[in-house]
Amino acid sequence: MISVNNIHTYYGHIHAVKGISFEVRQGEITALIGANGAGKSTTIKTICGLLHPREGSILLDGAPIHKLSADKVVRLGVGLVPEGRRVFPVLTVDENLDMGAYHRSDQAEIAKDKAQMYETFPALKGREKQLAGSLSGGEQQMLAIARALMSKPKLLAMDEPSLGLAPLLVKRVFEIIADLNQQGMTILLSEQNARGALKIAHQGIVLETGLVRFADDAASLRSNAVIQRAYLGAG
Amino acid sequence: MKNPSIIIKGVWVAIGTLALVAFPLVAPNRYVVHIVNMAGLYILLSLGLNLAMGYCGQINLALGAFWGVGAYTAALLNTHFGVPIWVNLPIGMVFAGVVGALIALPMLKVRSHYLALVTIGLAETINIILVNETWLTQGPLGISGIQMPTLFGIAIDGDERFYYLILTCVLIGFLVARQIVRHRIGRSFIAIRDDEVAAKAMGVNAAYYQILANSIAGVYCGAAGVLYAHLNTYISPDIFEFKSALYVLTMTLVGGMGSLAGSFVGGLGLPITQELLRGIGNWELVGYGIAIMLVVLFFPGGVIGITRRLQESSGIRWPWARKPTVEPSQLEEPNVSGP
Repeated sequence: MISVNNIHTYYGHIHAVKGISFEVRQGEITALIGANGAGKSTTIKTICGLLHPREGSILLDGAPIHKLSADKVVRLGVGLVPEGRRVFPVLTVDENLDMGAYHRSDQAEIAKDKAQMYETFPALKGREKQLAGSLSGGEQQMLAIARALMSKPKLLAMDEPSLGLAPLLVKRVFEIIADLNQQGMTILLSEQNARGALKIAHQGIVLETGLVRFADDAASLRSNAVIQRAYLGAG
Repeated sequence: MKNPSIIIKGVWVAIGTLALVAFPLVAPNRYVVHIVNMAGLYILLSLGLNLAMGYCGQINLALGAFWGVGAYTAALLNTHFGVPIWVNLPIGMVFAGVVGALIALPMLKVRSHYLALVTIGLAETINIILVNETWLTQGPLGISGIQMPTLFGIAIDGDERFYYLILTCVLIGFLVARQIVRHRIGRSFIAIRDDEVAAKAMGVNAAYYQILANSIAGVYCGAAGVLYAHLNTYISPDIFEFKSALYVLTMTLVGGMGSLAGSFVGGLGLPITQELLRGIGNWELVGYGIAIMLVVLFFPGGVIGITRRLQESSGIRWPWARKPTVEPSQLEEPNVSGP
């Protein structure tokens, strides 16, 4: 569905992503694993059009998207759950969901999808008129995911969805991601929590200092001795 | 049975309308009406700044320049070609709107305090043009002899009659601003202000809306400029210096940034306070500085923010207040346990 071909992304002079290639396949969860500064977030932002690669290309269903601005990439079907949730604090939960459907104009469908979101995320139910800034961290994460789904994406890109959440909530977030995938959503998941991510992912891409270190199906990565030592905390 | 709150609202609207219409007739003298007329122009300027800065987060200190573009457009067209205010008004608004959009282009490259610096620089550039291009603007001498308007043969020739013209413009300006903030544009502005990255990720074309916000600010200031030129019949560059932008910034911050009502509170309140404290001379600039610091540090929502806080803590409903979107109890105990 998405093919990333040898992309190089810079922050000013800093060469953050140094030639990364991988494929996100339809209907799968692809996990981007790595430590801080490995280039996970940069890769996700580059795919979503928030950053642009200096070299390389990104193809969505065969069409290049790496030169498009973020708002156009969203329209083409890449939804983003940004790092640190980034819900709109002074808008209500309901208005945040409306923002997710920003580029859609099918009002009846939007209302239906919103109702569906309150079913999928019971934490948001009854809080429609509450300001998003007054939600707890876990609830904000649910809202951020629901908001991204409101854009009806073909691919859901999630940047560190478990960051800063209590262990119980981390588990719940991974369950939700697996559920969404069960219902057919293609997901690109960037995670520091390698154990949790590889448990639900189909394939894993391990990044180190802006390069792909390993790329394999998730089960093989889980049993790989090097990965176990470096990322899964096994002796 | 009728809802009592609708009746109360109706009474408020009736009292307000009566007071607004009767004001020039009961005002003690012409000078008081003049002050209120100027306050009306400041409200227009402040609404423009509020839309750009309060809603879209575009710090803009080039307002004086937009204002000047509107005023000079009207002054030149009127004194050279006899163009009446009714034609100058749309032309001045378009001109200032275009200048606002052009100024926004370099602004797209920078954020926060750098934005303020860029706009100060651009505003100074325009002011220097007004001072130095004497063949066009007559430089520091200014332009005099601008005609006051007539409507259907009635001369709008004094502050009392001009009051109704300004009142109409302020009301239209307010209603348009309210439409803007309540609909898609306003939602996009707020999203960009609160989180530009998230807004882009939702599909908001941030650059487009940032240019639009500054252009709208230009249109509001342009309208105020045209009205000012025809009201005063004389303009000179010093009115449109950076100081005026600071003045409008102060009133908007004190009134309430991000609230249209704040523009009214600040736009009326600051000129009146200034009149009451006449004679402090240049100390007024010190006063603005202190007022801005106090508001930014302690009352980020300005006067409107304070009334809202009182409303939430005491349960008093001000007649103009919208229903609170958060129940105070929800704010106090967020559900930390999660789902």
